[in-house]
Amino acid sequence: MGTVQIRNARKSYGSVEVLHGVSIDIEEGEFVALVGPSGCGKSTLLRMIAGLEEITSGHILIGDRIVNDVAPKDRDIAMVFQNYALYPHKNVRENMAFALRQRRMPRAEIAARVDKAAHILGLEQLLDRKPRALSGGQRQRVAMGRAIVRDPNVFLFDEPLSNLDAKLRVQMRSEIKELHQRLKTTTIYVTHDQIEAMTLADRVVVMNSGVIEQVGPPLELYDNPATLFVAAFIGSPPMNFFEGDLVHGTELVMADGTRLDLPLADPQGRRRVTVGVRAEHFDLADDGWPATVSVVEPTGSETLILARLAGDVVRILIRGRTSVQPGETIHLRPQRSSVHFFDAAPVPEVAQMEDVA
Amino acid sequence: MTGTNMAGLVGRGEKRTGRLKDLTVRWSFMAPSIVLMVLLLAYPIFYTIEISLTRFDIATFSAGAWVGLDNYREVMDDYRFWDSLWVTLIYLVIALPLQVALGFGIAFLINAEWAGRGFIRALFIIPMVVAPVVAGGIWRMMLDPLWGIVNHWLGFIGIGPLDWFGDPALAMATIIIIDTWRWTPFIVLIATAALLALPKDVFEAAKIDGANWWSTLWSVAIPLLVPVIAATFVIRWLGAVKMFDIVLASTYGGPGKATNVINLFIYEEAFRSLRFAESAAMAVIVLVLTMVLTALFLRGTRALEDRY
Repeated sequence: MGTVQIRNARKSYGSVEVLHGVSIDIEEGEFVALVGPSGCGKSTLLRMIAGLEEITSGHILIGDRIVNDVAPKDRDIAMVFQNYALYPHKNVRENMAFALRQRRMPRAEIAARVDKAAHILGLEQLLDRKPRALSGGQRQRVAMGRAIVRDPNVFLFDEPLSNLDAKLRVQMRSEIKELHQRLKTTTIYVTHDQIEAMTLADRVVVMNSGVIEQVGPPLELYDNPATLFVAAFIGSPPMNFFEGDLVHGTELVMADGTRLDLPLADPQGRRRVTVGVRAEHFDLADDGWPATVSVVEPTGSETLILARLAGDVVRILIRGRTSVQPGETIHLRPQRSSVHFFDAAPVPEVAQMEDVA
Repeated sequence: MTGTNMAGLVGRGEKRTGRLKDLTVRWSFMAPSIVLMVLLLAYPIFYTIEISLTRFDIATFSAGAWVGLDNYREVMDDYRFWDSLWVTLIYLVIALPLQVALGFGIAFLINAEWAGRGFIRALFIIPMVVAPVVAGGIWRMMLDPLWGIVNHWLGFIGIGPLDWFGDPALAMATIIIIDTWRWTPFIVLIATAALLALPKDVFEAAKIDGANWWSTLWSVAIPLLVPVIAATFVIRWLGAVKMFDIVLASTYGGPGKATNVINLFIYEEAFRSLRFAESAAMAVIVLVLTMVLTALFLRGTRALEDRY
């Protein structure tokens, strides 16, 4: 049974609590990504599931067994580490066989399992090499091989791609996804890269400062961010935010007096709000929010326009190409269904990872 | 055409003076250490080789008549030379592995988190800063058969009294104990640094893979430490072949010749028996032996490093 249930898990180091009660239910065969900025507690949570960190309070269940006091090796999990953590003096075959040998599995079965894993990952030619004779991508593949030979109930990935260059990262990303579709093993995947989380996971758990901000399928997080943090964290280019007071229901008055007409009122009827609009949810129109174009970045299929509105940078993504030039004034009209309202607050500083995707 | 050629020539000329200047600067920086090396190392070595090939003239205190390999032949026929080489070998074969094993073992223990380990770490440095002759003296007192504290303690558990300096086997043990006391902390220091530098995630991977304490040590920790252990061994080997001071201060080669290590023997032959030419020959033999063995160790180390 590859289900994982986390019930109100807390973690403290001394008097400092870093995880403030986290609960997630992960279903059999599901691919769940834990994503958040560094220091949000996602790796700590993963290591608690693995048994490498004590659980201060709360429960973690793998299958229907509480594993709080179960040794890592008895949790039926396999983990892939950020720095691969391969045994440097063992060749690829021995690296993959080590866990099986510790369980005193018959030699013939070990050989069969290693060969099978090597075949799945395309490592057949590398079985007799030492890790240092491998490239980063190959090492990562061996680390995954070491995990899959054990046929565990749950795979844990701790930022497995962050040591690879951008191009390889994209390639390995699809390999991991393919592997999951093939093996259908429950997978928990920690990353700080929201694009990695979005592209890989069935469900994404967005964490910030030791709490869960939102859990949901990637596109739901994208379309309906529950908090300002999720809105700012998910999506590339990032969402545009406008803070101000709502007057007459649909008019936003910003701090410098700029007035923006909104296509709809805040469903919760708040007075002070932060309004969010994604870059691709603006239409260029004859009237609307006036903005001065500063940069135009064509990429062929779409064009990113950076413009200034009330002193802030606004990003506008349009399909196809445009004749808009820097210095020009354009008029933006946000699409009706795509305006998000949040409690007024400064936009969280979220380190956006540059990705090639 | 001509213009570019001219420019090229001028450029090359400038480059040449530049290189000359560069060489001058380099060599002038190196000159002081080269002079020191020649004076302090090369000259004594060549002087030793020279007198080992001659009949030493005590009156002028310099090389006398050329005798070729006569001194070497004489030394090779001297059973005392072989005896003291044998004694040195016994000392090395026991002391070196003991010190390396103890050093890494203690480092492993004091690396674990426990209260007061900082204090213990500091204590471990003391033997290294005590002068070897003083160390020999302290241990001579502690091991004294009549009023030494070691025999006093051993008496409580019904052992002894042991004649630490009178019994040939015990005298060798005494030397090894003192040497180990003095040098193990040095290895603890290196081993501690090595242990701290080990990658944590590999051990975590072993934990998840189900390795128990023993297979973690045997399949993960020791292989990772092999290059450091080998390097430590070579460093310690180079120090141990020079063994002289502790023996001089504690047993003075005795009883009989039981702890008469080669360096003490050479020293005795030269400055007591005034057989300078013969001891020079012995010194050269020991030098060559040391160089050959060190080269072998280094090759072995490299082979181990390639394996791991």
